[in-house]
This record gives sequence, C-alpha cells and structure tokens, in this order.
Amino acid sequence: MPAIIELEEVTVYNEDGRAVFEDVNLNFSGGQCVLIAAPPASGKGALLKLLSGHALPDKGVVHLFGKDTRRLTKTGLNDARKRMGFILQDPILISNLKVIENVALPLLYHSELTADECYNEALKMLDLAGFAGDLWVLPGLLPVYARKSVAAAKALVMGPEVIVCENPAHGLNEDELAHLSGIIAGYHLSHPASLLIVTARDETEIGAIKPGRTIHIQDGRFRE
Amino acid sequence: MIKILRYLGSAVLSRISALSDIWEIIAFSLYSLVFRFKKGRKATKSVLLKQIYFAGFEAVPIVSWIALALGIIIVTQSFSILPKVGGEGLIGDILVWVVIREIGPIFSAIIVVARSGTAIASELGSMKISKELTALEIIGIDPMHYLIAPRVIGTCISVFVLTFYFEIIAVLGGYLLAGFGKRMTFSVYIADVLASLGFAEIGSSVLKSVLFGLIIGAVCCLNGMKVQRSITEIPQRTTKAVIGSFKAVFLIDAVVTLIFFMF
Repeated sequence: MPAIIELEEVTVYNEDGRAVFEDVNLNFSGGQCVLIAAPPASGKGALLKLLSGHALPDKGVVHLFGKDTRRLTKTGLNDARKRMGFILQDPILISNLKVIENVALPLLYHSELTADECYNEALKMLDLAGFAGDLWVLPGLLPVYARKSVAAAKALVMGPEVIVCENPAHGLNEDELAHLSGIIAGYHLSHPASLLIVTARDETEIGAIKPGRTIHIQDGRFRE
Repeated sequence: MIKILRYLGSAVLSRISALSDIWEIIAFSLYSLVFRFKKGRKATKSVLLKQIYFAGFEAVPIVSWIALALGIIIVTQSFSILPKVGGEGLIGDILVWVVIREIGPIFSAIIVVARSGTAIASELGSMKISKELTALEIIGIDPMHYLIAPRVIGTCISVFVLTFYFEIIAVLGGYLLAGFGKRMTFSVYIADVLASLGFAEIGSSVLKSVLFGLIIGAVCCLNGMKVQRSITEIPQRTTKAVIGSFKAVFLIDAVVTLIFFMF
C-alpha cells in the first residue's frame, strides 16, 4: 500500500536548540499497526506534533496523505486532520459541550448527515467505546476512563484512515486498558486499510493492540 | 528623548497591531457569514444561536428595566422643561434625538459588554488554557470559524435587536409609566415621535448598533484568545476586553454622530 505518512530527513530541535531527533526517515502505510516505543521525554510528543501538523520540522519534509505539511494551507491541513483520529494521553474534550455533543461535533461540522443522524452515530460510537454514563452532562467532572472512552469515540466517529493513540495506558488500570485498547484494535481490524500508530513506553502498555511493526526511539535515533 | 520616542513608537505600533487584529476578526466573521455559510453549518449554527440566546434573549429583563427607568426620566424631564420654554412641539424631536440616536445603541452596547463581553473573553481564555482550541484543530475544525465568527455575529445581532427593543420600551413605556396621558394623548405623542423619525435617525441607530456589536464581539474574542499560559491571565484579559470595548464603542459613537451631523 502507498505510504500515508512519510518523514524524509526530518530534524527537530527543542527550545534549547538541542536536537530531539535528526535526519529521520520513516514511512507509514495503510493497514499497518505501528508501535512507537520510547521512554518519556524522548521525542514521541514532537513526532505526534509533526503528524498532526501542529509543528513543522526544522529540517526535512513531512508528507501527510502525499502532501508536504509545509505547503499545506489551513484548509488543506484541516482536510488532512479530519481523515485522522487522535486519542491523546490527556483527553481534551470541549468543556461547554455535553458528552454526546462532543462526540457528534466532528460529524456535525464535517459531514453531510442530518443532525439526528450525527447524534445517532455518536450514540453508537459511545456505546461501542463502553461509555456508560449520562450522555447529557458536561465532561468536566468525568473520571479519566470515561473521558478516554469519550475521546476514543470522538476520534473514531468519522471513520478515520489514520488512528494515532498516545500512551493508552496512562491513568488506566489493567481492565480499563484492556477494554480501551480492544476498541482501538477492533476498529483497526474492521478497517483493514487504516493505519494505527500507538506510542507507549513498551509492548506491555498497549493492552490488546498487536503491533506488526515496532520502532524504538533512543537518544534521538529511530530503529526498528 | 530617544527613550520617549521608542516608548511612543512601541505604543503606537501595539495599537496598530491590536486594531489590525480586531479588523481581521471582523472581516473573517463577515466573510464566514457570507461565503462560508454552508461550511460546518450544523455545528456553527448551534454556537450562533447559543450566543444570541445568552447575549440577546437573556439580556431582555435588564434591558427592559433600564429602558423603562431612562424612558421615565427623559419623558418626565421633557414634559417638565419644554413647556416652560415654549417648546412643547419639540417633545418628539427630543425623544428621537436622545433615545433613538444616542441612548438606545449606547446602553444596549454597555449592557452586552457587561453581561456577555466578559463571558466571551473568560470562556475563550479558559478554553485556550485547557487546550480546547488545539482539540478542535486536531479534528480539523478551525477555531476562528467555529468559535469566533458565530460569537462576533451573534453579539452583533444581539446588540442590534436589543437596541430597537430598548428604544421601543423607553419611548412607549416611559410615556405610559410617567402618567402623562392627561397632558398629551397617546396618539398625539406617538404621532409626534413618528413625525420626528427620519432616515438619519433610524440609519444612525442601525449603523451604531451593528458597529458596536461587531466591535464588542471582536474585542472580547481577541482578548480571550490572547490568554497564553496562566489562569491568572483570564481576569486580566477580561478587564482589558471590557475597557477596550467601552473605548471602541464611545469612539465609534462620536465618529458616527459627527458623520451624521456633517451630512
């Protein structure tokens, strides 16, 4: 399958001018399940920022869906992002929207579905993600697992081609991790062309996700 | 001397930069309303309606009280002073000049700044701190299009509608509550007011309310978006949003009044 994401000779420096990683060449294709294994503060966050288009490389080129992120307009970048689903370590939900509104938001904004259809899809996805709480509460006081479930439902509701999951074990117990990672792995299996990228310290922190490829980051170097 | 010049130069540049940011927000909001109306409509419509509800509909009780109180004051003063100087025939003119040209737009704007301008700035500031704007970007939603434009347009619609509501309540309610039915019949009073209403009066009120609404929305959104790292910036930015809105509203009021006076 053609590469969905490509990094060519990418170098990123931190605020002190020290290289986070240098001359990295990577490509990720549809159908792959990739684990980026690295200890904290080793460059996983910087890599995710490159993948989401929130940062540009100091040197080199990042291609998202075949397009150089440096040349993408705001609209082009948003078009790329709506084909991706991010489940971040600290799930950020929109505080003034109720749980179901948070999940329905990407559909309401991007899709041609009616509002009722968007809410029905959101409801199905929340059910799949195992969210058992009140759908019509603001998300501020939800426990970590419930927030992660809602964030996962929100990330997957658009049927993304790329799923990026940052440290899924963070803040969860074993059962919760098994359930959440099962949902993500299940989505990847049911969408065989999708690309799943998971970041974690090692294989023990990704629950039911079975990576076909593991990339280790050590001292700013990537090795498979 | 160089230090003073440097300070003045820096102050002027920062004002120009702020004005340019405000203009950019207003232009983007109007552009979104006209040319990107269909994009994300289901989501942005909800933000717009909520903004109109909070800034406009929920302000109706306080606008009613203030409009009634000011209406009573102005109608009473007009009826008590004008006959002494032989100016009974000017009652309609005075009411239109004072209420419709000036007080209606200004007081509606002040109420919206106090109630909703502060809410807009603090809400956006809080969303910025908790990285909710990044969360929107990550799902391919432009925060300017989803959060800012509907707030600016919603504030504009609210100030516009509240201004006309304020004027009707002040002119009619003021007359009725002040109990001057014995001196001048209601029909004569209304005919007098309507006779004084021309294009300039209505045009001035419409122009002021629309400009006030746009500028309040833009100044408050800009200050909310300028919150960077700390939660303590939120009250500081909210205060700046209120002061900035008041300065802009009174400046625009003076300029529009002068323009209508000259032409």
